[in-house]
Amino acid sequence: MAGRGEPGFTRRGALRSLLGGSLLLPGVLTELLAADEDRRTPADPLRPKAPHFPARAKRVILLFMTGGVSHVDSFDFKPKLFADDGKSLGSVHPQGGKAPRTLMGPSWGFKRWGKSGLEVSDLFQNVARCADDLCVIRSLKTDHANHFEATLGMHSGSVTVARPSIGSWVSYGLGSFNRNMPSFILIAPELPYAGGLVSSSDFLPGDHRGTRVDPAAEPIPNMTRRLESPGLQERELGLVEAFNREYLRLRPGDGALGARLRSFESAFGMQREAPEVFDLTQESDATLRLYGLQRGSTKGFGWQCLVARRLAERGVRFIELVDVGADSNHNWDTHYDMARYGDLARNVDLPIAALLRDLKSRGMLEETLVVWTTEFGRTPFKETPDGKGRDHHPACFSSWLAGGGVKGGLAYGSTDEYGMQIAEAQVHVHDFHATILHLLGLDHTRLTYRYSGRDFRLTDVAGKVVGALLA
Amino acid sequence: MAAESHRPLHPGQAQERRLKPAPPADRRTLIRRATFDLTGLPPAPEEIDAFLADPSPRAFETLVERLLASRHYGERWGRHWLDVVRYADTSGCSADFPVPEAFRYRNYVIDAFNRDKPYDRFLREQIAGDLLPHASESEKVERLIATGYIAISRRFGTTPENYLHLTIEDTIENLGRALLGLGLGCARCHDHKFDPIPTEDYYALYGIFRSTRYSWGGYDNGPRRRDLVPLIPQEEADALRKEFEERKSVLEKELERVSGELKAARKEAPSAAAAKRAKELEAAVADAKQAHDRFVRNPPLIESAYAVAEGKAQEARVHVRGDPNKLGPEVPRGFLQVLGGPGVPAKARGSGRLELAEWLTDPRNPLTARVMVNRLWQHHFGKGLVATPNDFGRQGLPPTHPELLDYLAERFVEQGWSIKAMHRLIMNSSTYRLSGRDLPENLEVDPENALLWKFSRRRLDAEAVRDAILAASGELDRTMGGAHPFPPQSTWAFVQERPFAAAYETRRRSVYVMQPRIKMHPFFQILDGADPRSSTGARLVGHTPLQALFFMNDPFVHEQADRFADRLMGARPEPGGRVKLAFLLALGRPPRPEEERAALTHVREAQRDLKELPMPEERRLQLAWASLARALLSSHEFIFIE
Repeated sequence: MAGRGEPGFTRRGALRSLLGGSLLLPGVLTELLAADEDRRTPADPLRPKAPHFPARAKRVILLFMTGGVSHVDSFDFKPKLFADDGKSLGSVHPQGGKAPRTLMGPSWGFKRWGKSGLEVSDLFQNVARCADDLCVIRSLKTDHANHFEATLGMHSGSVTVARPSIGSWVSYGLGSFNRNMPSFILIAPELPYAGGLVSSSDFLPGDHRGTRVDPAAEPIPNMTRRLESPGLQERELGLVEAFNREYLRLRPGDGALGARLRSFESAFGMQREAPEVFDLTQESDATLRLYGLQRGSTKGFGWQCLVARRLAERGVRFIELVDVGADSNHNWDTHYDMARYGDLARNVDLPIAALLRDLKSRGMLEETLVVWTTEFGRTPFKETPDGKGRDHHPACFSSWLAGGGVKGGLAYGSTDEYGMQIAEAQVHVHDFHATILHLLGLDHTRLTYRYSGRDFRLTDVAGKVVGALLA
Repeated sequence: MAAESHRPLHPGQAQERRLKPAPPADRRTLIRRATFDLTGLPPAPEEIDAFLADPSPRAFETLVERLLASRHYGERWGRHWLDVVRYADTSGCSADFPVPEAFRYRNYVIDAFNRDKPYDRFLREQIAGDLLPHASESEKVERLIATGYIAISRRFGTTPENYLHLTIEDTIENLGRALLGLGLGCARCHDHKFDPIPTEDYYALYGIFRSTRYSWGGYDNGPRRRDLVPLIPQEEADALRKEFEERKSVLEKELERVSGELKAARKEAPSAAAAKRAKELEAAVADAKQAHDRFVRNPPLIESAYAVAEGKAQEARVHVRGDPNKLGPEVPRGFLQVLGGPGVPAKARGSGRLELAEWLTDPRNPLTARVMVNRLWQHHFGKGLVATPNDFGRQGLPPTHPELLDYLAERFVEQGWSIKAMHRLIMNSSTYRLSGRDLPENLEVDPENALLWKFSRRRLDAEAVRDAILAASGELDRTMGGAHPFPPQSTWAFVQERPFAAAYETRRRSVYVMQPRIKMHPFFQILDGADPRSSTGARLVGHTPLQALFFMNDPFVHEQADRFADRLMGARPEPGGRVKLAFLLALGRPPRPEEERAALTHVREAQRDLKELPMPEERRLQLAWASLARALLSSHEFIFIE
C-alpha cells in the first residue's frame, strides 16, 4: 500500500503535476523542489530520530481508563480485604480524619492465570487469558487526589501547570515513521478530565501535539477531499505552501510557522491515507469477532482497539485510547456503586485482550509497548458507611505493561494487606514514565527541551527506570 | 498622559540587560494588530486607507479611540470574560439541558464592556446584582441578569439538585480562578496543599452560596425548570403563575374525578351496561390525562433570567473530606482569611453575597485588580505578566515583571477601574507598537521574548478566524445575537443516554454561536476554542493537521470561499483588480507584483484543471476564484497577527 511506513506520496510528483508546464511563483518553485530534497533536514521536528540506545519497543499504545480504576477490584488481589468485609477501621485514611471507615470486599473473585499464575480479577477474564504477557505494577503512586490534576500527572508528569504530554515527548524524541499520519493520535469519544491538555505539546514544537480522533461517521473531521478536481486541490495547496514558505523565509526565528506549514503536508497525507485506515471493511469476520465488533459499527472500545492496531501498522508512534466508560456518563469513577464495574469491564475486557492477541499473532507485540493505566486507585473502604462505592486513592494503584521489552507474567511491587498503602517497591508516576521511555530507547534524563531558560523533561527532576520490569 | 504614553511600559528590565528593542511596526501592521486586538475583526480596506492617510502624529491614538468606541469591542472583550467564567448555553448536567435564558447574561457582559462599566461595579453586579439598589426598572433587570454569572455554574448528574454541593463547588472554584487567580476547590476536601486556604475558608464561602437560590434548568425525564428569575414585575409574574396553577388544578381535579368514576364502574357487577360505561370512562380518563399533560408541558412564558436570588440564610457545616453526608463543625460565613477577609457581619440579614461582592472589590484586596490587569495585558501581548492567569498562587508561575504588574494594578484602581483606560495605557505605549522583527542578538539571550523587546507574533483564536473569514467573504451578519433556536420546551425529553446536542449555524459573530457545555461545537474544538466545562485562562494554541484539513475541506470554508469569489467578481470586472481586492480583504495589503502574477496564473490554471468536469462556465470561473480565496484564507499571513 502506498504510504505505509514511508513517505509513499511524493510531493515532488504532485508539485510537478501541479505545475503542468506553467509557472507558479517563479523562484519559489525551485525552492519548493529543493526543499523536497532535504525534507528530513534538522529543521523538521518529525524526522525519525535514533533513540539514545537500542530500543525494545518502537511504538506505544496507551489504554487510559478515565475515572480511576480500583486496584483492589482489578489487579491487586487482597484476600484479607475479602475476609474483613464490613469491618470498621480507625483513622487510617492516608489523608487523615477521624471518621471510622468500613472495609468493603470486592464483588469479584480472583483466579490464578497462565503459567505464571498471575492473579487477576474475574472482571477481566479475557485480559487474564493473556496473563503471561502482562507485567503488572501493583505499587504505583501519584501525587494528587483530584481527577484533573491526577490525569494531567499521568499524562505530563506535572499535577500543577500544564506540560507536554508523554505522547508529545515520545514524538519529539523519536519522530515519525509515516508523514501521512500524525505521530501522536488520541482516540477519544470524549476527553478525559484534563481535557485538551492530555494531548498538548505545550512548549514542544506544535508538530508533536496529539491529534484527536472521534469514533464518529468521520473519525477525523474533514478528511475527505471536497474539491472535485484533485489536480486543482494540489495546485491550491501548492499556492498555499508558496505563500507560507515566503512568509516563513522572512521570519526564520518562529518555529510555529514551520509547524503550521508541515501541518498542511500532514493533512494532505491524511486525506490520502486516513479514509483507508478507518475503513474496517477489509478486516475479516474473524478479526471483527475477536474485537467484539459488529460489522459497520464504530461503537465501543472494540473499534478504538482495532483502529489502534491499524494505526500501529501504519507507523503511528504513540496511540492513546481513552476509555470514557460504558455509556458517556459513567466512567470508572464509582463513588456510589461499585456494581457498575461489571458494565465498565465488559466494555473493555474483550477488546483489550483482542488487541494483545492480534498484535501477537501479527508479530507486532514484541515491538509495541501496550500500557494500561488510569489516574489513581480507589479506597479499599466504602466512601460512606452505608454506601457501595469507593473514593479516590492516590496512595497506591495498579497498571500493567505488555509487549515491547517487558517481562510477562510478572506482578511487581505490593501494597499492604488491604491495599491501603504501598508495602514494597513503590513506582511513582515519574518512575513509570522513565521506564516507558527506557523501553523506547530513550534516557529520560537526556530527553530534554530547553524552554524559558532551563531544560525541561517529562520526569521533572525525578524518575528511576524500574529495571525489574525489563525482559 | 501623552508624555507617559510613549514611555516603554516595562520599567527598566530590557534596558538592564541592554536588549535593543525591535524597530516600531509600520502603520499597516499596526492597524491590523489593533483592530483584531480590540474588535476581533480585520480592518476594512477603507479603514486602512484612512489610517495610512492620517497625517497626525497622534493618528494611532485616534485609531484606538475609534476602535474602543466600536460596538464590536464588547463582542471581543466580552468573549475573553466568557472564557474565564466558562460560559455555556446548556446546563452541564448529564442530559445537558438547554438554558434558553443564558444568552441574556452573555449580552450583559458584551454590553458592560462596550459601556466601560467600571470593573468593580461589573463584579458587584455579577455576584450580588439582585441586592444592589437600582435607579430604574431597566437597571434592576440588568442587575438581575448579571447574577447569571453565579447561575451558569455547572449542574451535575441526572437530578442536579442532589448535587448542589458540586454546583456550589463549581461556583467557588470559578470565583477563585476568575476573580482572584486562586484555586479554592481543593479546600473542599482538605486544607489547600500549596496555598494558605484552610477548609474552613471554603465552607465560609460555601455558606454564602448555600444561602443563595439558584435557577434550575432541567432534569432527566422532564423539563421541571424552576426558580428562574422573572424580569417582569413580580406581581405580573405571580398573576400568570397563579392563573396557570388554577387551571392546572382544575384539570387535575377533572382527571381525578373521571379516574375515580372509572374505578367505581369497574367494581360494579359485570353486565353489558357496566362494560360499556367502563369503556366510555376509559376514554374520558385518557382525554383528561392528555388535556392535563399537554397543559402542564406548556407553562406560561414569563420573560426570565437564569439568575440567582436570596435563599434561606444559613451557615454551612464542613463536609468531612468533601462528603456532603458527613458533616463536621459549623463555619460562620465569611471570606478568605489569608487576604484579610473578615466574616459576614452578624447584622447582615441576607446570604452574605452583597458583603462578599464589597470585599472582593475593596481596593485593599490585593488580588482582584492584579488578576484583571494581567488578563488585559495577556490579550494584548499574547502572554500575561503572570503566565498562569488563573493561578497567582504557589502552583502558578511568578510574574516576569512584578513592578509593572503592581503599577498597572494601581493605575487601574486609580482610574476608577476603567478597562478602556487600561487599553489606552497599554496600546499607546511604545512596547505595544514594536514590530515583530527578530533581532538575532536578542534571540540568543531571550528567545521567548520574556523581556518584550519585540511584539510576539500570534495566531488568531477560533472566534477571530471564523469572523475574519465571514468578514472577507462579505457574509458577516453584524447584528447582535439573541436567543438560540432551541426546540420548544414542550418537546424536551433529554436524558443522560440521549443528551441535548446541537450545533446551530449562523452568520453572526462567533460569540453568538450556541455553546454547549458538554459536547463542544466541532469548529471550536478544532481551532482551540474555550472549554466551557471549566475556566479557560489562556487558550491552547496549536497547529494541527485537523486545522489544515478544516481549511482544505470544511463545508463552511468552501461556502465562504464561493461567496468571497462572488464578491470579487461582482466588485471588479478585470482579474488584476480582483486579485488586489482579494489581498486587501484577506490580508489587509495589496499583493506584491510577483504575488499578483502567481494569483492570476493560479486562477487561469484552475479553470483548466476544471475543464474535464461537467459544469457551467460561470461555475468554473467561480470555483477558480474561490480556490484563490481559499489559498489566501489558508495562509500564515491571514491567521497570524504581528
